[in-house]
Amino acid sequence: MYELKDQEGNVKNNSGKKHPRNAPQDAGRRKLMASAIGAGVAATSGKALAQTADPIITDVQDWNRYLGDGVDARPYGAPSPFEKQVMRRDVSWLTADPKSSVNFTPLHELDGIITPNGLCFERHHGGIAEIDPANQRLMINGLVDTPLVFTMEDLQRFPRENHVYFLECAANTGMEWRGAQLNGCQYTHGMVHNVMYTGVPLKYLLEEAGVRIKGKWLLPEGADPSHMTRSIPLQKGLEDCLVAFKMNGEALRPEQGYPLRLVVPGWEGNMWVKWLRRIEVGDQPWHQREETSKYTDLLEDGTARRFTWTMDVKSVITNPSPQAPIRHGRGQMVATGLAWSGHGKVKRVDVSVDGGRNWQHARLDGPSLSKSVHRFYYDFNWDGQPMMLQSRAIDEFGQVQPTKQQLRKARGVNSIYHNNSIQTWLVGNDGSVENVEIS
Amino acid sequence: MLRSLSLRLLLVVACAAAGAPAVADVAKGEKLYRQCQGCHSIGPDAPNGFGPQLNGVFERGPGGAEKYSYSAAFNRAVKQGMRWTDASLDEFLTAPLNYIPETRMAYPGVKNREDRQEIIAYLKLVGPDGELPETEKVKANRKRKQPRPLAAEAEIPAHGVLHLGRVALPEEIAAWDIDIRPDGQGLPEGSGSVIDGTDVYESGCAACHGIFGEGMGRWPVLAGGHDTLTDDRPEKTIGSYWPYLSTVFDYVRRAMPFGNARSLSDDDVYAVTAYLLYLNDQVDEDFVLTSENFTSIRLPNEGNFITDTRLAEVKTTVASDPCMTDCFDEPAVVTQRARILDVTPDKDTDEGSSATID
Repeated sequence: MYELKDQEGNVKNNSGKKHPRNAPQDAGRRKLMASAIGAGVAATSGKALAQTADPIITDVQDWNRYLGDGVDARPYGAPSPFEKQVMRRDVSWLTADPKSSVNFTPLHELDGIITPNGLCFERHHGGIAEIDPANQRLMINGLVDTPLVFTMEDLQRFPRENHVYFLECAANTGMEWRGAQLNGCQYTHGMVHNVMYTGVPLKYLLEEAGVRIKGKWLLPEGADPSHMTRSIPLQKGLEDCLVAFKMNGEALRPEQGYPLRLVVPGWEGNMWVKWLRRIEVGDQPWHQREETSKYTDLLEDGTARRFTWTMDVKSVITNPSPQAPIRHGRGQMVATGLAWSGHGKVKRVDVSVDGGRNWQHARLDGPSLSKSVHRFYYDFNWDGQPMMLQSRAIDEFGQVQPTKQQLRKARGVNSIYHNNSIQTWLVGNDGSVENVEIS
Repeated sequence: MLRSLSLRLLLVVACAAAGAPAVADVAKGEKLYRQCQGCHSIGPDAPNGFGPQLNGVFERGPGGAEKYSYSAAFNRAVKQGMRWTDASLDEFLTAPLNYIPETRMAYPGVKNREDRQEIIAYLKLVGPDGELPETEKVKANRKRKQPRPLAAEAEIPAHGVLHLGRVALPEEIAAWDIDIRPDGQGLPEGSGSVIDGTDVYESGCAACHGIFGEGMGRWPVLAGGHDTLTDDRPEKTIGSYWPYLSTVFDYVRRAMPFGNARSLSDDDVYAVTAYLLYLNDQVDEDFVLTSENFTSIRLPNEGNFITDTRLAEVKTTVASDPCMTDCFDEPAVVTQRARILDVTPDKDTDEGSSATID
């Protein structure tokens, strides 16, 4: 009856060993069967569900009796072993080498708006640079009065700020331009994370060096083997860019640029240079590899847009989704997801269960911050019939998330980047969920 | 008993002479010695404590601390000929009460052999004045231990608003500022021929990018693909897509070969750039690329790049009130399913699809 294809596949691929997740999963499946049978009985005979006492309640369990680990056992805490399936995953066929590749945030396992540090998707172009903060230098050079070098100690003497921002790779959902391809919002939408950064506003560092009147562009550069570079208008740098050293309160993770990264709110993730070592001021853009051969959007007529920096308004339902099917029967349920806009705040999210023919307002919950993800919920009574679930975000400037058809009509299918179209999940009457396209 | 002790000591001395211990990090020994400081002082005018002060303990020998009242057992051992060597001190420190029964030193001993050797190495360096010799290394270690200079005495730089950081030196800027613009700004002096580039390319690039720039596996294709940008499957190469040659030079110099960045000489980068132009049918095989003729080369697709016009698209124009009910006549129908393609990872088959990102 109930198909848990993805989850069984996951378990199998995890080295074939018995996964701790099996226990709750099997229990869940048994429970589902029991309730389905119970429901069946109720439907045919009209009798109440048969109830036997739950041994979890009536028996004394091991964890009720025996002492657990003390405070010295987990000096840096990790998630419960029952959460082992919650991890970043990659798609090996996507890129040539794992050292210049990407993995994906398990959005379907998370709630609220903050992404835990260990689950923020990774994208690097020459592996993870491991840098002792004592060896960290940040140089400001180019069209400045005084070229400067800062140590970490220097940077921590500037006034610092805290901001929550989403970081989305411009190629997020890039595999879906031609059609529904990957079964799971982790893969279709998981190149986004949302973190509170602590850092120094870039404008303070630029003021310290003194930008000359001709200075109009910035070129941040990384210390990793790709020496990542992107041209950024000076105006953006003065407006809201941060040079960050903390994420969610602790030091940046190595894979997120430890000890220093650039934060470019609302703009494509490639510009948020990690392992930041230099910022040059110039009077023209540099047309580096990542802003010419990559991160330019090829249109149907053969022209290509460049400097497409802002991440447009977007949303996705994270639960239910292919990796997180509905495990209960019909009746009251929660659909939830994320919405964000690189322009500012999300004003509204609508949800449709019939493929976009009719819409209901979803409930936004939690902090509503500019250029941060927003959490939405749609609480409803499921009749057990198939659904075509969609979400549609509208930002504070009235930008509406487009349908796939609208986006393809405007751009064709070879843009790779900036696919912010509405996602459709087909929910079967067995609760399974699939990534589909609709007419 | 005492007789056997002296015999054993002699043996130990002989062994010690044969094998000098391979040590040691003085700073580490000094740190390990902290466990002894409760009883044994070291330093200028170090007083005796529960145990004797240990200034120059190797030179002065056992029982040599003035004004310290040694135990009878210890004095007996000294009379029997006990001397401090690497080996005897090592054995003593392992378990003092085993070595000299009834000694006053109740300390159970240092069980780790390497730790003992570090401590002994440190003790050997301590002079009768309680000071370490001023070797460079020790100096550095001591410097580290010195109290930080008073904050009020720190020099405040003149530059900037908050006066933080320091001025970057010209040679530091030259080491890191290697970016090149389409107008040639940043190009280093140098040159390289297509012929020379063939060698550089074949040894450093062809394994991933293919001998003709065709790309092995999923590594980037560098050549070909002319007039394919409007095709169903466009091939974006240096010749068919990249707008500027400066990008090729800049990227090869900063990031290639993959796994050995910054290893090519400037002339090698000129040569391999010339070879890539040749592979893309932009120059002949006898071409030489130089810092002088660089900006005269224009790539064919330069004119096809436009600015961001997303906001002008019909679908994204401001629509503050999108349709809420009966937005289209017929119920939606599923036209395509991801399950058919079956490329989601963590299944038994993990086969690729044609879509790539990079």
